[in-house]
Order: sequence, then C-alpha cells, then structure tokens
Amino acid sequence: MSYKIETRNVDLYYGDFHALKNVSMQITPKTVTALIGPSGCGKSTFLRLFNRMNDLIEGVKIKGDILIDNKDIYKIKTTEVDQLRRNTGMVFQKPNPFPKSIFENVAYGLRVNGIHDRKKIEEQVEKSLKQAALWEEVKDKLKKSAFEISGGQQQRLCIARALAVEPEVLLMDEPASALDPISTSKIEELIYELKNNFTILIVTHNMQQASRVSDFTGFFLLGDLVEFDKTKKIFTNPVKQQTENYITGRFG
Amino acid sequence: MLHLENEIQELRDKLLSMWDLVIKQLDKTEVSFKTFDRDLAMEIEETEKRVNAYELTIDRACEDFIALLQPVASDLRFVLSTLKINTNLERIADIACGIAEFISDTDEEVNADIISHMEADKMLYLSIEMVKDLREAYLLENTKLARTVYKRDKMLDELNDVASYKAIECLDKYPQQRRQTLHVLSIIRKLERVGDQSKNIAEEIIFYIDAKVVKHKKSDK
Repeated sequence: MSYKIETRNVDLYYGDFHALKNVSMQITPKTVTALIGPSGCGKSTFLRLFNRMNDLIEGVKIKGDILIDNKDIYKIKTTEVDQLRRNTGMVFQKPNPFPKSIFENVAYGLRVNGIHDRKKIEEQVEKSLKQAALWEEVKDKLKKSAFEISGGQQQRLCIARALAVEPEVLLMDEPASALDPISTSKIEELIYELKNNFTILIVTHNMQQASRVSDFTGFFLLGDLVEFDKTKKIFTNPVKQQTENYITGRFG
Repeated sequence: MLHLENEIQELRDKLLSMWDLVIKQLDKTEVSFKTFDRDLAMEIEETEKRVNAYELTIDRACEDFIALLQPVASDLRFVLSTLKINTNLERIADIACGIAEFISDTDEEVNADIISHMEADKMLYLSIEMVKDLREAYLLENTKLARTVYKRDKMLDELNDVASYKAIECLDKYPQQRRQTLHVLSIIRKLERVGDQSKNIAEEIIFYIDAKVVKHKKSDK
C-alpha cells in the first residue's frame, strides 16, 4: 500500500527541548487523520513538519524521514519548498484573511503562482469558494472586504484560499476552535466533503470533533505518539491506558 | 471524584437497585411456587409495576448520560451494557410475574411429585442463582463469575428439552391433574427463557469490562 504521508522515527528538538520522540506514522491518501493530545504534546509541531513550517523556528533540529508521496520532503532542493507548500495547504486556529476583498483573498495564491488569465482566475475562485461551501453566501459580495463577513465565513474563506492552488494535503490546526457551533458544524461537513479529494490532517482539542470527522486518530503525549489507529478503535476500545484516560477525561 | 465518575456511580446504583428488585421478585416466585401462596403471587404481580417504572427511569438516565456526557471507550461500553442489562432484567421480572399469574389463577395446590419429576424446582433454583451471581459479577466487574452462567444456561436448556417427555409421563401418571402438568410445563418454558436473558446479561458484562463481543460466538464463552 502506498501512503500519502509517512514519517519514520522522527525526532524534533527546539534547542534542547525534545518535542517529538521517534514518531512513525503512515497516512493513507484521501483520509482524515485527527491529532489529539494535551497542550504541548507535539501535535501541532508534528502537523507543521509537512509544510516545513518548523524550519522557520530558530534552533529547530529534525531527524528521521518525512515523506510525502514517497519523497523525503527534507531532502528536496530549497527551490522546491515553495512547490511543497503549494501542495500542502494550511488552515490555522484563527481565521486570518488578507486585508483584501473576498475575491482577491482566493485569487492571491493563483497570482503569486503566475496565473494572470482573468477568466481562469475567476473560474478557480468560484470553484474554490464552492468547494469551501461559501460560494452561495458570498457570490454577490465578492468585492467586499474579507473582514466584513462572519468569523465562520472567514475561516471557510481561508480554506477556499488554501484550496485555490489545488493542494493534495490539507493541514488544519484547530480550524473550528474559535467558531460557534453552527460554523463548526459547517467546517466539519466541509472536511467530510473535502476528504474525497484531499488528504487531511487536523489538530483538535475537541474529542467529539475528532471522533466525528476523522478516519484515523493519533494520540500524542509529551512528544510521543502513544497510539495511532482507526478512530473507531481509539474511541471505543483504545489499547493504551493513557489514551483511554485522555479521551475519557481522566487525564491528570 | 470526576463528575463523569459520579454519574457512572449513580447509574450503576440505579441498575443494582433494579437488580435487587428483580431478585426479590424471583425469590418470592420460588416461595409462592413451593408453598402455593396465592397472596404472595398477587403481590409479585402488583410489584411488577415498580419494576417497569425502574426500567423507564434507567432508560431515561442512560439517554441523559449519552446526550449530556458523550461517553467514549469504557464509559460508552458501560452505558450501552447498562441499557441492555436493564431490558434483560425487566424481561426476567416479566417472566417471574408470568409464573405468579399461573399460581394465582390455579385453584388447587400443584402436586409436588409433578414439580419434582419435571425438575421445575431445580430450574427455578438455577435461574435465581444465575441472576444473583450476575449481579455480583457486575458489581465486582468479575467476568470470570459472569461466564459461569453459560454452563447453567446449558443445564436449563437440557432440562427444558426433556420436559415434554416428562410431562407425558406425568399426564399418564396423574390423569386427574392434567391441567397442573401443563401449567408446570409452561413454567419450565418460562424458566428456560430466564436462562437466555441471563446469558445475554453475562455477554453485556463481558463486553463492558473486557471489550469483547462474545454474542453469537461459542469459542470465547
């Protein structure tokens, strides 16, 4: 079986701090993988491995193999990092639209990537907004500022912006934690739809969200990947006592 | 103690109270059957309303537990098994009530020889012991004890299988008491079902504690 993403014995240090310890994981294409664990356990650090965002932090040292489509993304040329980041879109906890119009937020990545054909950009913006389940709500106000729409809409706009450059992997770092239940539900529905075309990794503190949206779940604790299995197994009969304690709220 | 653990304890206590009530119903059934105490039989029928009320209370408590606390893993298995054990216990109480109805509807004392020949007394004893042991197994989370009911369920099945032949012998031996023989045969059929319900309860206890599904599997029992 060929995996979309694979890590083999990955260790990551922030200076002397050992943030990820010998983490190995295989991620199947077009699935949703939830990364759970208490704050500081390394799950966001793990997520940031795949678009090499950790590289931007001073003093970071990474060991082990990190592969996307069987290619070690830490052994590519510096010039290929941009391409890597195009292929791995990222959505953050707080919606962070650019101070531009709704249209321009989605079109931005396309222009940066050298696409200037107006018609092509319009088509791609519409497609991305539809994929992000936002088109119907904004199609009549595309020229308005992105800050004029609600937080939930802004987050879906950020997802549309990530989708516009047609990535294959979508990294989501607590994408719904700042949203109300209705917006959260929309994001979750969106994740369910998007997994038909994308491989998704989501960091979440919400156990119910992890169990609702993901196919696989990895539980991190103090930099260790304690358990990684099908979500159904993790939430019904986990193997490790530490996982059981965490998901049932008895961690302390 | 965590809020969740408090809720689990409350739900467990409710089910154990239900269990105690069902055991009392069975004990009274045994006494009324052996002594032909029709008043006691009527008391069992009357108490059946309390059992039904308990069942509804526990159903509601399980529904609330799932809706409000969104349990997972062992907590989820606990509430699912509690819900099913609750249903099984109510059915056992129904059976006790059905036996009591026979006693209160019969106008003459049942011939002791018919009862012992058909081994209805032995079946009643086995059934009650199974339900009592299962309560202990649930309370102590002891799956080994829960598994002991499988052997006794098999014994009940075997006694039920030969009951028809023994009934024919009784019909021949006591032609004036044919009605009594048929009543005892009906009671035996009901007791066999107590065995089935007990086996279901044992499976739920094993599912909750060991996370194993033994339903419809012979090798794991």
